Amino acid sequence: MKKASIFLLFGILFLASCKEPEAKKSSGGIFPYELVSDSLDNGLQLVTVPYDSPGLVSFYIIVRVGSRNEVEPGKTGFAHFFEHMMFRGTDKYPPEKYGKVLKQIGASANANTWLDRTVYHMTGNAAMLDKMFEIEADRFQHLNYSEADFKVEAGAVKGEYTKNFANQFRQINELLSDSAFNEHTYEHTTMGFYKDIVDMPNQYDYSKLFYDRFYRPEYTTVLVVGDAKPAEVKALAEKYFGNWKRGHYKPEIKAEPKQTGPRYAHIRNPNFTPVLSLNYKSPAFDPESKEVASLDLISTIAFSERSELYKRLVIEEQKAYNLMGYYYYTVDPYLFQIMAMVIDENDLQYVKDVVTEKLDELKNKPVNEELLEQTKSRNKYQLLMELDDPSNIAEVLSYFIWVSNDPQSINKYYNTLMSVTPEDLMNTARKYFTPEGLTVVTVSSKEEGGVK
Amino acid sequence: MKSLIKGILLTFLTLATLSAYSQELVELPLKQSKKIIVRLMFKTGSICDPQGKEGLSYMTANAIADGSTREMSKSDIEEFIYPMAADYGVTVDKEATVFYFEFPGDFEEDFYPIIYGLLREPAFAEKDFDRVKSRQENFIGRIIKNRSDEDYSKAILEEFLFEGSNYAHPVQGYAHSVKSITLDEVKAHFRKYFTRDNLIVGIAGNYSNEFRDRLMDDMKTLPALETELPAPGKARMPKGYEVKIVTKPDAFGSAIFMGYPLDITRADDDFTALMVANSYLGEHRKSYGKLYQKIRKTRSMNYGDYSYIEWYPMGSNYQLPIAGFPRSSNYFSIWIRPVQTGEKLRAAYPELKNIELGHAYFAMRTAIREYDAMVKNGLSQEDFELTRDFLRSYIKLYVKSPAQRLGYLMDSRFYGRKDWINEADRLLEQLSAEDVNRAMKKYFKTGDFAIAVVTSDDEGRVLARYMREGLPSPMAYNNTVKEGLPEEVLAEDREIMVYPVKASYIEIQPSTEIFK
Repeated sequence: MKKASIFLLFGILFLASCKEPEAKKSSGGIFPYELVSDSLDNGLQLVTVPYDSPGLVSFYIIVRVGSRNEVEPGKTGFAHFFEHMMFRGTDKYPPEKYGKVLKQIGASANANTWLDRTVYHMTGNAAMLDKMFEIEADRFQHLNYSEADFKVEAGAVKGEYTKNFANQFRQINELLSDSAFNEHTYEHTTMGFYKDIVDMPNQYDYSKLFYDRFYRPEYTTVLVVGDAKPAEVKALAEKYFGNWKRGHYKPEIKAEPKQTGPRYAHIRNPNFTPVLSLNYKSPAFDPESKEVASLDLISTIAFSERSELYKRLVIEEQKAYNLMGYYYYTVDPYLFQIMAMVIDENDLQYVKDVVTEKLDELKNKPVNEELLEQTKSRNKYQLLMELDDPSNIAEVLSYFIWVSNDPQSINKYYNTLMSVTPEDLMNTARKYFTPEGLTVVTVSSKEEGGVK
Repeated sequence: MKSLIKGILLTFLTLATLSAYSQELVELPLKQSKKIIVRLMFKTGSICDPQGKEGLSYMTANAIADGSTREMSKSDIEEFIYPMAADYGVTVDKEATVFYFEFPGDFEEDFYPIIYGLLREPAFAEKDFDRVKSRQENFIGRIIKNRSDEDYSKAILEEFLFEGSNYAHPVQGYAHSVKSITLDEVKAHFRKYFTRDNLIVGIAGNYSNEFRDRLMDDMKTLPALETELPAPGKARMPKGYEVKIVTKPDAFGSAIFMGYPLDITRADDDFTALMVANSYLGEHRKSYGKLYQKIRKTRSMNYGDYSYIEWYPMGSNYQLPIAGFPRSSNYFSIWIRPVQTGEKLRAAYPELKNIELGHAYFAMRTAIREYDAMVKNGLSQEDFELTRDFLRSYIKLYVKSPAQRLGYLMDSRFYGRKDWINEADRLLEQLSAEDVNRAMKKYFKTGDFAIAVVTSDDEGRVLARYMREGLPSPMAYNNTVKEGLPEEVLAEDREIMVYPVKASYIEIQPSTEIFK
């Protein structure tokens, strides 16, 4: 995040002194389409990807506010709640009128919130791009809801929590966040703590403050992919977002103190499949970090269906139903997650031992060069295959936009990924796969996890 | 709007010409594409499961898609395709099983042996079978009940509605039936139902003619269909409001699905008229529907409320409907996402400490009342036009990716159509409000619903008592919400709480007894 903040700061200074910044085109790299970034004087970032999808366009607004920004006690889950409030209308477009216009646009439209961002998206008729800009710019600048509407919407959030609670993995995630973090806001999930959700109807004034703080151009990027031209996007942005005022707020997010020993948490559920979840503290995303790229590659090398671990635990020994490893692209240091659904709960310790043994091997034995090259090839093709319709392209790019505030970082990151060596993998494994940084969550029928 | 329609139309005109290549081949050549997509749709699915062997089709399909070939073990395959980032798998439904393969165009030649090997030379190795079977047992025994109460209630509704027919059981089968399936049965099932005569081949992307011809030639060597495919089961018409409540001790809310049989599919032109009515009432994951407006937006009772005139696969996961799940036996359904139980409301709000019942009954009454009103009053000209125009734009998004475009074209064949999205657009264009209201009178029924509820033990007991007697179910708002509600909402609440939805039949079962 520090890096992103510095970038943002310099970006602002640059823009303030230069009225007509030139649009920046993609400098080449893995991303196969033209990628044009630009900005307005108020700091709003613009990204356009002209793509051959006649008549179809994806219109994304990425706000770099998520549950990470919820620094005040009692206010967890607010970024997500606020996403709901954004559908509650303005003076020009009260909810009924907004709904009607949205229906007229005929788009697939929705929003979602995660740790570091809130994303509002529409995919639909390119001829309606002007209208999309108009209604979105209106609610981003002139949202106006009553206290009664605010209280009612809080019930829908509670309904969402209620729906999610039936999912065992949501419960695991909630417990994991709370166990792995004590100071940083990643301690709570994006839904927030249940007690805070129950209290949401009483937070009307705070919601106004929240909007004032974060729904500002310097937190926001407009991304358009599909049948649209960069100049058209720039003109529409000027027209509808040009008067949006820059804000000043920057949250003080506490750094998580270094973890000093393994942590254990357990859910007793005799009706569910036993689960082993191993989580190692991992670095924040940085497109130029070989450590980040190494962890990303390790998630495939060590945990994909081709991996030795998968072959052993799932195919041959049949101790687990599945196995996955994942590095998340986050603004601040988060977790490298390894998860297995285990067939017999008495094997939880065994599965952990086998996984740990593999991680130790990664620390001490260089990964075969050929396997590393194959993994790079796989990552490259995976990305290219994914970029096959406007909304998929927008989804992929939005990751890079929220996590680094720079759409071009997709090319930087893949360059870094391609330059990783077996030594990089070894050094990274040594640094991050340590018992000191580990949080274990288990699910079984027993009172205690029993995994050491 | 025009340019979108034009763009899509152009694509489909090209298609229509090309796909005349063969009756069983659907093509979608995309020369700029980086990948190749192959979909093999067999007209077979869980309706072909023999009694006592429910889940056999699902297991057969997965034993292939997650198994080995004569030449390569499962691990060999994974190792071989690893650098290509190829993806493949299978979806199984009541009447269709689709094997799908996606891989970069650069590997057309290299990847082909995997398709060939899995379909033409599957190894059916004992070890693969054990793994696939154990995973399926886990799903039906544990996952389905602990992942999403919404999907669970939907599966319960289907079983309740199609009782006694081959459409009733979950495609994954029952715990006891899955346990009894042997490897020999899987092999025999494959030979019997995965044949050249009930196969539609689909290819999209940047492929060569040689690749296409080779695939077609090889698929022609599949065995012939020697048995008649079973007729798809029909849902029974519920008599009044028939309720099935399934209880879990720790359920946090009440998940509700309700429905009744609908005698129409995409094959029928009137289907598009019902699409308009359904979209108006409860478009999937949209805030415009009447159900959503009344239950979520006005009263904040849950996360969303929608309605359907055909099967919607994995509704909790997808905003737009995905291809590969065509069905002959449809039912109308209403999905009410989990609402609060009495015990959770009592615990959270002191002012509600004396309530007996949570929100489930009130939510059902609200939904049924909205539905009844729509069927009775029809759509106004304005509502019709707005909804129809929305759908004309929206359905084109179903096919925005190459894989879905191909899938929808193949599903079209199932319904005896060439290109349903395009045809539906034309039908929508010609439609009038009178057509919609007439179709509703013809196909939609009122007063008869099968209702499935997954809820807590306590709520289940109280709910059953209330519904059996048809007792008033006042809406229990907490004070902060209630204070801000306008009088017209509270007045409407007084009508809803006594709306005549009295159960004609009720059964309660603990979750442990389901899908045994």
